[in-house]
Amino acid sequence: MKKCGLPTLTRRRLISITAAALLLPGGATARPKRFEWQGSALGAQAKVVLYHPDAGAAEAAITACLAEISRLEDQFSLYRPGSALRQLNATGYLADPSHDMRRLLHLCHLYGELSQGAFDPSVQPLWQLYAGHFAGHPGTDAGPPPDAIRATQRQIDYRRIAIGAAEIRLDPGMSLTLNGIAQGYITDRVADLLRARGWSDVLLNLGEIRALPGRSWSVGLMGDNPSLLLTDAAVATSAGAGSPFAGPGGPHHLLQPRTGRSAGRYSLVSVLARTATAADALSTALYLSPPERAADLLRQGGGQQAWLRRPNGALWHLKA
Amino acid sequence: MSGNRGDRQNQGQQCHPPILLIALLALCLMVISPPAWTKQGERFDPETLAKVFPGAERAGSLAGNPLAASVFKGGARLGYIFSTQDVVGSVGFSGNPIDILVGLSNQGVISGAKLRSHNEPILVIGIPDQALRQFVDGFANIDIRRPGQVREGETFGRLPVAISGATISSAVIGDSIIRAARTVARSRGLLKSVQAKLRLDRENYEPADWPELRADGSIAHLVLSRGKIEQAYRDRVAIPGANFPGDRSPEELYSELYTGLITPPRIGQNLLGAQAFNRLLGKMGPDDQAILIAGNGLYSFKGTQYRRSGLFDRIQIVQGDKIIRLVKPHYHLVGGLKIAAAPQLREIGVFVIPADTGFDALSDWRLELLVSRETKQGGQVYLDFPLTYVLPPVYRIGQVAPATLEQPNQLDRVLTYFQQQLNDGEPALWLRNWRDRAGRITILVGLLLILSAVLVFQDNLVRHQRLYRSVRLMYLTVTVVWIGWYAGAQLSVINVLTFAQSLLSGFRWEFFLLDPLIFILWSYVAVTLLFWGRGVFCGWLCPFGALQELLNEAARRLRIPQISVPFALHERLWPIKHIIFLGLFAVSLHSTILAIAGSEVEPFKTAISMHFIRHWPFVAYVGGLLFLGLFIERFFCRYLCPLGAALAIPARLRMFEWLKRRFQCGQECRLCAVRCTVQAIHPNGSINPNECIYCLACQANYFDDRTCPPLVAKRKRQEERAGKQAAYLAKAGQ
Repeated sequence: MKKCGLPTLTRRRLISITAAALLLPGGATARPKRFEWQGSALGAQAKVVLYHPDAGAAEAAITACLAEISRLEDQFSLYRPGSALRQLNATGYLADPSHDMRRLLHLCHLYGELSQGAFDPSVQPLWQLYAGHFAGHPGTDAGPPPDAIRATQRQIDYRRIAIGAAEIRLDPGMSLTLNGIAQGYITDRVADLLRARGWSDVLLNLGEIRALPGRSWSVGLMGDNPSLLLTDAAVATSAGAGSPFAGPGGPHHLLQPRTGRSAGRYSLVSVLARTATAADALSTALYLSPPERAADLLRQGGGQQAWLRRPNGALWHLKA
Repeated sequence: MSGNRGDRQNQGQQCHPPILLIALLALCLMVISPPAWTKQGERFDPETLAKVFPGAERAGSLAGNPLAASVFKGGARLGYIFSTQDVVGSVGFSGNPIDILVGLSNQGVISGAKLRSHNEPILVIGIPDQALRQFVDGFANIDIRRPGQVREGETFGRLPVAISGATISSAVIGDSIIRAARTVARSRGLLKSVQAKLRLDRENYEPADWPELRADGSIAHLVLSRGKIEQAYRDRVAIPGANFPGDRSPEELYSELYTGLITPPRIGQNLLGAQAFNRLLGKMGPDDQAILIAGNGLYSFKGTQYRRSGLFDRIQIVQGDKIIRLVKPHYHLVGGLKIAAAPQLREIGVFVIPADTGFDALSDWRLELLVSRETKQGGQVYLDFPLTYVLPPVYRIGQVAPATLEQPNQLDRVLTYFQQQLNDGEPALWLRNWRDRAGRITILVGLLLILSAVLVFQDNLVRHQRLYRSVRLMYLTVTVVWIGWYAGAQLSVINVLTFAQSLLSGFRWEFFLLDPLIFILWSYVAVTLLFWGRGVFCGWLCPFGALQELLNEAARRLRIPQISVPFALHERLWPIKHIIFLGLFAVSLHSTILAIAGSEVEPFKTAISMHFIRHWPFVAYVGGLLFLGLFIERFFCRYLCPLGAALAIPARLRMFEWLKRRFQCGQECRLCAVRCTVQAIHPNGSINPNECIYCLACQANYFDDRTCPPLVAKRKRQEERAGKQAAYLAKAGQ
């Protein structure tokens, strides 16, 4: 899965995008101004860019967005004390789950099925194993011992997350991370909220990037990747090198449930989809899946385009 | 004579025929230019900014609702600039927009105010610009969050005292500034301290039916058809999903939800009936809230899960960063709604929301309905459908601050207006005007009743020459001194023009009600116009007319020779006033300000409203008119008065012809025509209703057998006969 645990911003810096608004011709009425909020969401840098003529309205919208982000962090955050996810991980049980928790876990299940298990929110114990190992063995590049990995792998299976309407149960020893999808989900919820309030001309970067209908945004993906014009769509990027456990080139947070090791096929995967949830989940799933699955996965998972960069620098552009 | 001299040039007229006629004419012409106040997106030049918001470096453009522009210093927003016209649609006493730019700091303090444009008649010419500027400037440093806290000193300043001679205009300006500032402050969240004082209305009940509660937002509504659900899945979910099973129509109702906060009795008691509502309240904690959720359609919002798990798994309430789950212990089954005109509802539930959830009844919340669909891959994809609830403002009660203010004596009474305005529960300005002028209103109504009696019993009155003469002189004196000079209730052609304007740009009663005396007078004039023609106003209620007549009376007593204008010339001078009126009317369609300037042809402002205290050219003009009036009675009324002309237009509509004539009039005798104060009687003896001022002088003649030649002749014949008879009897008795 993607970045977990350590408050490292490396990945963020690596995939930092350049989003610039292109003023579209014809906007003759009011003169919208750019309003920007920067902060953090789900332990990562977040940014909301709004175009609106009025600061008061922009401020009110951002206030509502922040409340929504905070509400969802209370659900999905691994870091926030007392979050629903932490309760679930701590006790293996969550009573009266919110709609959002159920929705997101159902989506995780779906992407698990689509990726044939490559995408799995229950990979968290493996991450903890790696994090604990490298914390206890500073300076080493080698991962945890294979038997420890094998033992931990037995606790990984998204199908054993029992998502009930009134409770959620995990098998003993299981714990979840939603970091491969929650940022996308939060981005979409915030986008829905703003759309319901009548907003357009908004760029959300809450870990994943989403543009609301209206203005087009030029988003430069990862350095020398082609920049793309984002209109009413979302883009997400997964990069293993973003948060390595130890030195560069060593194991990183994008762990494959099947092998118990970091995936090494790509250095970076970006996905364009209509929703940030799909883009987020697919970028993780594609990163961890064999290339022959990529096209089906992208299509079935609701992605539009994917850019997969090999460690040797070769770029594979995939369209659904 | 308090500060009300300036009130007169105002409006307050009724729908009455002349004005309707004019309005129709105007509507036909429809050549008004749009007023030039601020527009969305407008920006402010640095000079304006410095004036209205000292210390600010730049301003954004006008935007939002209400329109306001943020002002900044560096990156920090200091506050807002807005136009009263944009925010509260401020209308001056002239019926035309008043546009004042106001700066308001984040702290709720007015940083500055600048009058950009106005059409206030009294302020156009009557009042020096300096006074007006000072008055508006005086609003700087007023803290709009500290209602009524009038402190001496720099910080809060004192509310500006009204411009003397323009009290109502001043009140209107003050009202606009404060009201606009409060509106902007509220919309931009600057009045948090005021909002914090708000609480939910848990006391007031008034009957309301379902459509009313729906219409005012007390109950919110969400309809989800199959098509809408499909569309939402297409829009909000990227994963290709399966369709709903079967070939159902997209219009088919999938789910319909109603929700509302029912703690306020106006909602809850109406919905549930008093008994069930009180029972519910009895089960709730004092700070708990209750909401109603009701629904129709295939998809139940309750589901069946709650029976086993106790959780209503298809609905949740979201407020800010809180999620509130609805559970069985807080659920109250409701059999049916007691409210009138409710729709059929398949499911009705009342949910108590405990206070410890942190639910805030005054803030917006949304009810989310969770819907699921199967994807092609067999998994479930869920989606939320929100129904947002915004508590209607009527259920927010502001804590009314106790009125503990000490009224500084030296402050003008208008200050009281502002203070009341600043307090919560602001009464309408016009209502306060009526309340505060109850005494004057009573006197005016009394005067009008006397006049009505004079008109109704005119035949009886005029038979008594001396009584008639003294009643008329007294009435005219009262008209000049009390109605005119004291109360300032001189009607003006401006009233007619502004009324016509208001019909074009949006008629508002409250606006015409601002000055009670003017309003009452116009109402009375409208009625008497229909009954007897325009003369009742001109001859009895027009202070300037009365002044002319009284002066002429004095002149006659001083044996100043009177000039009788030859009728042929006289008749040809009449149209002047009509041309003046039509000219003013035409100009007013283009620019009210110009028309108001033009209406200076009326000497009313100088002679009546401003008591001759004015620049010499105005005084000279009025002096000239009054001087001419010494020789030609009511010279101004006859030839120049545009108001008289306006009123003359519908004069032919009058219903009563009570002015009596004899067949000899105009044939054998032209005495009345000669004596008529305004020469309104044609040589042929007919009275011209366009010119007649209904002074009743001709009627006094009519009944006077010592004046009216036919009567004199008759009397003489009778006397002769009696003399002869007496002589004969005396002879016979010899």
